Amino acid sequence: MKYKTSDTSQYTQAKEYIDTAIIPLIPFSFVSDQEMTQLSLQKEMTQIYIDQIEKELKGRVFVTPEYYYVKNDKISDEKLRLEEYVNHINKQPFKYIFLITPDNKWRKITKDMDVDLIWIPVIKEGNLNQSETQQLIQSQVKEIQSLIMDSWNE
Amino acid sequence: MTDKKNQVSRRQFLNYTLTGVGGFMGAAMVAPMVGFAIDPLLKGQKDTEFIYVMDVSEITNEPQRKTFKVDQVDGWYESQVDRTAWIFKTEEGNILALSPVCTHLGCTVDWASNEQYPNQFFCPCHNGRYTKTGVNIEGTPPTEPLHAYEYKVEDGKLLLGKAKKR
Ligand code: FES
Repeated sequence: MKYKTSDTSQYTQAKEYIDTAIIPLIPFSFVSDQEMTQLSLQKEMTQIYIDQIEKELKGRVFVTPEYYYVKNDKISDEKLRLEEYVNHINKQPFKYIFLITPDNKWRKITKDMDVDLIWIPVIKEGNLNQSETQQLIQSQVKEIQSLIMDSWNE
Repeated sequence: MTDKKNQVSRRQFLNYTLTGVGGFMGAAMVAPMVGFAIDPLLKGQKDTEFIYVMDVSEITNEPQRKTFKVDQVDGWYESQVDRTAWIFKTEEGNILALSPVCTHLGCTVDWASNEQYPNQFFCPCHNGRYTKTGVNIEGTPPTEPLHAYEYKVEDGKLLLGKAKKR
C-alpha cells in the first residue's frame, strides 16, 4: 500500500493484514553540484527499490511518506526527529517497521530502536536504464523481499 | 464622462478575473467528481490492446512466468508498466494466462513456491492459496479466483489483453 487515497481506504478496512510499515529515509543536498547529482540518483534508486517491493508485497506492507533530511556528516542530529516520526507511524497497529535508505550512516543510531534498517547499495553514477543496473536491482529486490518475509516467519 | 464609464476600474478588473478563476476552480472541483463517477473508464490499459507475449508452441502444462509491457492510462498519467502472467495449457488443452495479483489484498503470487503445496499458487503475504487453474482454496484469505488475461492467438503467437475477473 502507498500513501494515496485508494490504498489508505483499503488499509483502514484491513489493518489486521497490513502489519508492516516501510519508511524511506532520503538524504538530499544542494551544496555541491556533485552531491546534488549523486543524491538525486540515490533517491531515484531507492524509489525504484521501494516500488518493486511494494508491488510484490502490497497486501501486507504500507510505504509511508518519505522522511527527507539534509545530508549531514553528523547524522545523530536526526535521531530525535526520526524517533518522533516512527512513534507517530506507530499510532497505527504496525508490528514491523523497516527503514529503507541509501545512507549507511543510519546504522549506528538506529541500533537501539525497535526497527529494522535496510541499506540499499547505491551506484555512484550512471544510468538506471542500463540493463546491468536493472538486473542488479532485480536481484537485490528479491533479497530484501525475503529479508522482510523472514521476519514475518520468525 | 461617458468615456470614463466604459473604463474598467482596477477593482472591477480584479473582480472579473477572480470570478473567472473562481469559475475555473469550480470546474476543477467538479471534474474530479465526474472522474470518480466514470473512473473505470478512465483507468486502466487502453482498450483493445493485445500484446505479444510468447509463441504458442512454447506453452507447456507447467505454468511459465512471462512479463510484458503495456501502456497504462491512470487518470492523469500515462505510463508503461510491467505486467506478469502465469501461462500454461490446462488439462483440457486450453490456454490459461493468470494474473499474479492476489485477490485478497494484492500481493504477487508465485507458482509452487511453497514446498508443502507444490501444485498451487502461493501468496507469501497471508498464505493465500489457489489451485493450478487459479481457483482460491477455501480456508485461505482470498475470496475469489485469480483474474485471467483475455488472449488471442495469431499465427501461432499468443497475445494478451486485459486481466479480467472470472
Ligand atoms: S494478499 Fe494474498 S493472501 Fe493476503
